[in-house]
Amino acid sequence: MVIAMALYQYAWAVLLAPLLSFVVIVFGTRVWDLLSRPHIAATTTHAEEHAVEAHGSEGEDYGEHGEDDDDDPKVPRLSAGAIASGYVAIGIMALACIYSWIMLLTSVFNRQSLPAGGIDVLHYDWFVQPGGVASYSIIFHLDTLALAMMVVVTTVSLLVYFYSQGYMEDSAGYARFFAYLTLFTFSMLVIVFAENFLVIFVGWELVGLSSYLLIGFWINKRAKPAELRPSPSSAALQAFVANRVGDVGFIIGIMILFANTGTFSFAQLSTAVTHIDKNLLTVAMILVFCGAIGKSAQVPLHVWLPSAMEGPTPVSALIHAATMVAAGVYMIARTFPLYVAAGPAAFGTVAWVGAITALFAATVALVQSDFKRVLAYSTISQLGYMFVGLGVAGSEYGPGLGMFHLFTHAFFKALLFLGAGSVLHSLHHATHREVQDMRLMGGLGPKMPITAITWLIATLSISGFPFFAGFFSKDTIINLTAERSDWGLYIITLGTAGLTAFYMLRAYILAFGGKGGSFGGLWGGPYRGEGQPHESPITITLPLILLAIPSVIAGYWFGFFDYIQPGAPVLNLSTILSDAKTWIGVVVALAGLAVAYTLYCRVDAAKLHAFVQNNALLRATHNFLYHAYYINELYDLLIRYVVLGISHIEQAFDTYVVDGIVNGVARLALLLGRDGRYVETGRVQSYMIGFFGGVAVLAVLVFALVTFGVGK
Amino acid sequence: MGLTLNHFLILGAILFCIGLYGAISKRNAIAVLMGIEIMLNAVNVTMIGFSFFNHVKPYSTYLTGQIFAIFIITVAAAEAAVALAMIIAIYRKRETVDVGEIDIMKW
Repeated sequence: MVIAMALYQYAWAVLLAPLLSFVVIVFGTRVWDLLSRPHIAATTTHAEEHAVEAHGSEGEDYGEHGEDDDDDPKVPRLSAGAIASGYVAIGIMALACIYSWIMLLTSVFNRQSLPAGGIDVLHYDWFVQPGGVASYSIIFHLDTLALAMMVVVTTVSLLVYFYSQGYMEDSAGYARFFAYLTLFTFSMLVIVFAENFLVIFVGWELVGLSSYLLIGFWINKRAKPAELRPSPSSAALQAFVANRVGDVGFIIGIMILFANTGTFSFAQLSTAVTHIDKNLLTVAMILVFCGAIGKSAQVPLHVWLPSAMEGPTPVSALIHAATMVAAGVYMIARTFPLYVAAGPAAFGTVAWVGAITALFAATVALVQSDFKRVLAYSTISQLGYMFVGLGVAGSEYGPGLGMFHLFTHAFFKALLFLGAGSVLHSLHHATHREVQDMRLMGGLGPKMPITAITWLIATLSISGFPFFAGFFSKDTIINLTAERSDWGLYIITLGTAGLTAFYMLRAYILAFGGKGGSFGGLWGGPYRGEGQPHESPITITLPLILLAIPSVIAGYWFGFFDYIQPGAPVLNLSTILSDAKTWIGVVVALAGLAVAYTLYCRVDAAKLHAFVQNNALLRATHNFLYHAYYINELYDLLIRYVVLGISHIEQAFDTYVVDGIVNGVARLALLLGRDGRYVETGRVQSYMIGFFGGVAVLAVLVFALVTFGVGK
Repeated sequence: MGLTLNHFLILGAILFCIGLYGAISKRNAIAVLMGIEIMLNAVNVTMIGFSFFNHVKPYSTYLTGQIFAIFIITVAAAEAAVALAMIIAIYRKRETVDVGEIDIMKW
């Protein structure tokens, strides 16, 4: 018991571990890496720094790759400093990961060892307002919810770090990449450990920063308008700006809560909010949810996530699939008691935004041809499910429902992204070009068997195929909407499950199978690209294998709801299997899989393409979905004409009114000086007249005041 | 009816006004200087008056006003010497002592 308490008390070590790696890499190994590059001295300015990277360690161009390749600067081999950066990050993260797993397992098997409300692992009163009106504290808190999320973050981080060794093997920015990754993990853990809105907001912005840095990692890469792909730098900017829009609501919500209770702490707020007007609380919680909409890429702020796919694929797996985008879900789970206290509109908003997003993103994912973009929309869709889970759970189930899907989704979605990265990496080596279009893949199954099999496992898991992880977490959410008689949500989530199965198997077949392959087209088939792709190295395939395990078994943690919120229902395999609704879900998922199999394994791709193109309605639908409902274009118009229009008006106001006043004051002073200087005649006598005249006037004034004025 | 403080104050005021008039209206620099001297002496008269007619102890035993008057006389003498020297210097340079034409300090 005492040992267990000590175990939890030192949990801050997990938080500080990635920060330590970050410091070591930035001030140690990365400097070593830069100094070990000859010809160009260690530089200080940003532009020169990238010049070093572009020239590589030998100071010469490394021109193996094709002309239309991305501009990612390459090096023939990594310096010792760069390799050390990777080892530092992986080694420290491995320790943190093991530690967090030990804590999780201890708390699962010895539920009493961790107090129900959790413990503060670090408490620092930054500023306490006299009289106890308000306090601003930095509190890191550990409870079951934080532990579950921490395990996800550290595990996926560790595997992604390991994977990055292979994926970024020839990138000149290798050390910088690891520095950003460790910074991200630290920021994410700040969110995980946060006990109040103040700390969570700091973490919130820090992950935004790391996300920005990592999306825009390949700063020199150009946009590809033909594939609707922005340049990484503009994608990074878009992500940052879209998050700011959500954060405006978030911070206003926090301010409403703080102004009415005088505390940021989640624990104190959950008791204090009962005194707030219920309507105001509902508004505040919906505003807080705006932050989650931005961070978790829900409609209407989802536009940044597909663009964020311009970042390196490990980043997409870690940040834009498994952890950061789930921060919104985690934040709602954290503030769950506040939503319970608020009116039903708060949870209703969460559930409906999630449901609409899930359906919207799933329909868009149906027709995408970019490998990573399918996964991006799939992530948006699955995050929608999590919000539905949080929105319909109520106090009976607690935040466990949404968190369970987050937990399983993190593993299989990270696996999907890393598998996709493995394919892109392999194709890059085979073609010397960047290939992300699934129309240039096909039949890769026998060529890269480990990637294909693990990808198939993840596909089945996300599709809700029975006895895979996603089956348990997703079907529980769908079934609960029916139990709550929320038929609108039920139909949307159920339909989305079918769409999910369809687009995931479609992506699998387009990449790894095809008509003509074995197993009826599921394995192998014609390869539509160039070169000879082959399996990726062990650094890439090992994380895939390791992630495939939780993608199957993570769903068997039936006590998850109870773990997150003591007293919540415990899942039971026989109950799940005897529920008719479960089998409706399975049938819908199987139907989606069957349609995908029929269309892509049984029908000739050219024939299918011709059929869609010749049917005006289908073609229009396809274009509509392919452009994601033209929402990006709509935002473009909105910003170009409305936002910029208002900006022009404001600029005119600034130029003519604000500047007018400022310049007018200056001009007045100038005029006064120019015309008033003639008062200075240079004749002493005129000064004397002024002086004594002034004295006379003052004397009369004083006399008058004393005689008739206020003195009397 | 003997002398009262009012006599001194009225005399001082009259002298001051005469001096001020002279200092402002005369064109000749020496006449202006004389006006200034009259103003200074007007102040001296007032000082002496206040000093002499003060009956409040312990201030009445102090001679502050009279000592001030002696100071002013001293300073006025020094000032007259400096001012006359300046007038001579200006006269040598500009061949005039008309203060209306001495405007080298103007804008």
